Amino acid sequence: MAATAESLERKDKLEGIGCARKRKEDPRFIQGQGLYVDDINLPGMVYGALVRSPHAHARIKSINKEKALALPGVLAVLTADDLKPLSLHWMPTLGSDVQAVLADEKVAFQLQEVAMVIAEERYIAADGVDLVEVEYEELPAIVDPHKSMDADAPIIREDLVGKDEVGHGKRLHDNHIFTWEAGDKDSTDAVFDKAEVTIKEEILNPRVHPCPLETCGCVGSFDKVKGQLTVYMTSQNPHLVRTVLAMLSGIPESKIRVVTNDIGGGFGNKVPVYPGYVVAIVASIVLGRPVKWIESRIENISTTGFARDYHGSAELAADNDGRIKALRFNVLADHGAFNSHVSATKWPAGLFSICTGSYDIATAYVKVDAVYTNKAPGGVAYRCSLRVTEAVYLIERMIDILAQKLDIDKAEIRKRNFIQADQFPYNTSLGWTVDSGNYEPALDKVLKAVDYAGLRKEQAEKRAKGELMGIGISTFTEIVGAGPTKACDILGIGLFDSCEIRVNPTGSAIARMGTQTQGQGHETTYAQIIATELGIPSEEIQVEEGDTDKAPYGAGTWGSRSTPVGGAAVAKAARKIRDKARKIAAHLLEVSEDDLEWDIDQFRVKGVPDQAKTMKEIAMAAYSNIPDGMENGLEAVDYYDPPNFTFPFGAYVCVVDIDPKTGEAKIRRFYALDDCGTRINDMIIEGQVHGGLTEALAVAMGQLIDFDEDGNLLGNSLMDYYLPTTVETPHWETDYTVTPSPHHPLGAKGVAESPHVGGIPCFSNAVIDALSHLGVTHVDMPHTAHRIWKKLHELGAN
Amino acid sequence: MSKTQVSFSLNGQAVEVMVEPRELLIHVMRDQLRQTGSHIGCETSHCGACTVDFNGESVKSCTLLAVQAQGAEVMTVEGLAVNGELHPLQQAFMDEHGLQCGYCTPGMLMRSYRFLLENPDPSEAEIRAGMSGNLCRCTGYQNIVKSIQKAAAAINASGRDEASTA
Amino acid sequence: MKVKLDKRYPVAASANSAWQFLQDVKSVAACMPGAEITEQSDETHFKGMVKVKVGPVTSTFNGDIEVQGVDAEKKELILLGKGADTKGTSSASMLLTASIQDTADGQCELIGDAEVTVNGKMASFGGRMLDSISDQILQQFADNFANNVIAMGEGAAAEVAAAKVADAPKELNGLAMIWHLITGFFNKLFSRESSQP
Repeated sequence: MAATAESLERKDKLEGIGCARKRKEDPRFIQGQGLYVDDINLPGMVYGALVRSPHAHARIKSINKEKALALPGVLAVLTADDLKPLSLHWMPTLGSDVQAVLADEKVAFQLQEVAMVIAEERYIAADGVDLVEVEYEELPAIVDPHKSMDADAPIIREDLVGKDEVGHGKRLHDNHIFTWEAGDKDSTDAVFDKAEVTIKEEILNPRVHPCPLETCGCVGSFDKVKGQLTVYMTSQNPHLVRTVLAMLSGIPESKIRVVTNDIGGGFGNKVPVYPGYVVAIVASIVLGRPVKWIESRIENISTTGFARDYHGSAELAADNDGRIKALRFNVLADHGAFNSHVSATKWPAGLFSICTGSYDIATAYVKVDAVYTNKAPGGVAYRCSLRVTEAVYLIERMIDILAQKLDIDKAEIRKRNFIQADQFPYNTSLGWTVDSGNYEPALDKVLKAVDYAGLRKEQAEKRAKGELMGIGISTFTEIVGAGPTKACDILGIGLFDSCEIRVNPTGSAIARMGTQTQGQGHETTYAQIIATELGIPSEEIQVEEGDTDKAPYGAGTWGSRSTPVGGAAVAKAARKIRDKARKIAAHLLEVSEDDLEWDIDQFRVKGVPDQAKTMKEIAMAAYSNIPDGMENGLEAVDYYDPPNFTFPFGAYVCVVDIDPKTGEAKIRRFYALDDCGTRINDMIIEGQVHGGLTEALAVAMGQLIDFDEDGNLLGNSLMDYYLPTTVETPHWETDYTVTPSPHHPLGAKGVAESPHVGGIPCFSNAVIDALSHLGVTHVDMPHTAHRIWKKLHELGAN
Repeated sequence: MSKTQVSFSLNGQAVEVMVEPRELLIHVMRDQLRQTGSHIGCETSHCGACTVDFNGESVKSCTLLAVQAQGAEVMTVEGLAVNGELHPLQQAFMDEHGLQCGYCTPGMLMRSYRFLLENPDPSEAEIRAGMSGNLCRCTGYQNIVKSIQKAAAAINASGRDEASTA
Repeated sequence: MKVKLDKRYPVAASANSAWQFLQDVKSVAACMPGAEITEQSDETHFKGMVKVKVGPVTSTFNGDIEVQGVDAEKKELILLGKGADTKGTSSASMLLTASIQDTADGQCELIGDAEVTVNGKMASFGGRMLDSISDQILQQFADNFANNVIAMGEGAAAEVAAAKVADAPKELNGLAMIWHLITGFFNKLFSRESSQP
């Protein structure tokens, strides 16, 4: 039925899916009326500040609280001994390990939490921290994960000695956490043995930190009279936290309320339960007053969930035409002192096995060995989609290395290996079923847009003059939307998500979900989905997340799962309402349901278009004029268990010019084409791409969490840790194709992490491509001017 | 530490606070005066989330002692809109999607407010240089630049000789 | 974080006087501005402290000093010092081999060969300045040492030296040191002479 001007007008009024409408959440932020956790002020509230270990590995010989307690205004000083009687000095992590809440007899990473001072005022709490005297006996620290499993390595986790496994299979050494494998080792080895060409490279994903602009914190408030605990927290997954708190504290989950209002950026940093939260909550229970704990930036960078630290030994086997026959990746994973990062129980190395990427690779084997070191705990964070950044980095680097070895163009070699459009849904050799993809047209579109042939010509001319110019390509496939409950759970809870919608008599609606926005615009995008499904303008749909008392249970927002899982629940709940609305419409129009068709915002009688009822009219009727046997009201809830992950993909090209005298790499151009299936709001998607690419720039070009040989952190404040400003950040060009997901109710896949996953190898590939004519196959990140300069100097090129 | 009285003008209103000499202006504004629009993102003066307008200059309020505000004219994001009417910058940030999580936004608004008064018709490079003291992790800055360009055009078009809210 | 130091300082006095002074651990400790021996448990074990001031912040390091070896023939003293600041935020240890060697014309040289290990806050934030700050500290120490040794003698030179000892700063002023570092850096940039290591 052709769209008429009138129907287009009705559709536009909805501002639903596909409309680049402005955001509904913006008015409060631009007026400074956002509600972040440090904005919360409760009557009688006091402040907590942590005493932290200066040593990476040491025994605690004594803690003297006397001077601190004597300071007027200090109410309490809590140590592990105070938490022991409550069995709270250790807590379970989301990675099936345990973590010290306050150091119990020893510390295992620099700045580990040792004690918390609670005081009437913020500044007094800080004074109190200075007065707590801790005596340490230093122990040798392990900083290099390659040494963790040495025979004479000091034991980091004495609490695990004698334990055969830490949630993921047999441990090989006291500092070993798990070994995880996927694929077929024997077949893979056989292919490598016979291959025409093999390549091997040591590739590092260095330790970095997501560094959201707002640090982590909470306000814990226990109501002694009602026996109810309320915690305002920077959490990307409030329901999971509530369940963990119930398990930890023994307070029934029905009497715990976790509230996340606004979050100043998450990026995976705000998924774990941090010791500071637990101690603040305990303190609020013990003191009977609300306790606020907000960490400093240095504490955030030093102790909260870092990202990567994956040491890869990567191999590809191919034929002389560059056709990859097998993949073999071995990884040493440095998890720090506790395995605390979020991972679905069966996937301790996250979704790393997506590392076959966009390519048709028949045989593969991957092995990840995780070890403890004397560093902060974590590993899965920073827009990584659960280790997908690490996986895609490896394959996108390796295919470039293969291209260089065989002297095949880097775009051409990708085309020779792409999974073809008619192969979808495609089963990878490591067990994933990629739902849909169309890689070659995406790459071609980008190559045309940047005049790839022209760029290669220019590069040849520049090389003849001794100038350094690089072209980086990244054709990546992402895996997001964790995940099917039969495959994925955290602490036993499935990774479904949920949505509850209630339509009011006057035709507006309120909806709540189990996900949690941190700037991704859910208040707008979810309203847009409901608008299209229900024919109510998105402006009249109120979206709320984050209050566990109100929202249905969900696993939160991380790994780009909101649209694939949460968005699906939204669509399905809306459709349940529409089904009921159809019955009401049939009743009002006195026809049978089969005589009706849905048109944008109304049900109308087939062939008699003026016999119609809008959703607004139906809503009122739901409370006043319903058919016999029906209940009043117009609402629904849906818990959506996804049948599969979704697989957004993209093609990126980066052009870089390197100054041979200084090593400084200037990003001349970055063209990013993303395919996230059905697009809900172009403006918001574009914003996500800009942000993800900027974080990719940061990781590839300058970020590093570094340690000296004793485990001292070097560069854990913004004096050193690289956050790009307006000046370093280049102009981003964005583009898209649309290949819907066949299994998602809207065909949407999710997008927010793709630019980060695809961007990092693109920058790296560009820098290394600039040096490839000098014989360089790989240089580890970060590609700072100093490091590039050093490499050039080594090669005698400057 | 004994407290001392500090009086200054905050968003056009006279305020009086009792502060310790070591207290930072950002803490006094947020905790005592309950103006939580300005945010804290670091403790090394890098991020700019605490940027306010102080006696006609952009100043990071985390690097100012409250006692230094004696007699000063301070404007925060809460003072940008006048009688409910949004400043062109606030409108532009919404129009051009110049914010995502909103945490850097008050600092961006207050800095760009003063920047446009200093340079009403800036080039993109000048905007980027002028805003380089304010960090953002979400937007990649591109739409922030667009927002400021849009606001500059709107302010210049409306013929306001001072887009000041004073 | 480790720093290796290998320094030589001229002392305008005889090797014997210098060696005599070197064996008096209490007096030698006092040559370090802000440092003092607080206790002597036995012949070779001492407790000491050093006060370091950086701007308004004063940190006190408490430590143990052990004289590990004394060789009169080689005029060599081996010291192991270990300490932590009272708040427990930084720690340092130093293994020092100090010896006196004759130079021409009846004078001598104080030779210091040390390995310094620093942990905690000081390593994280001060790491990059460790080399230059150690230089500065040792220079101050050596000056005091030399002046003390000369003052032990007689005559005009001794009186001048004694006056200098009396005037020496009693605390380790970090800020002053950093200032000297900065001005020294710029001086090096603009002067043609190579500067003292």
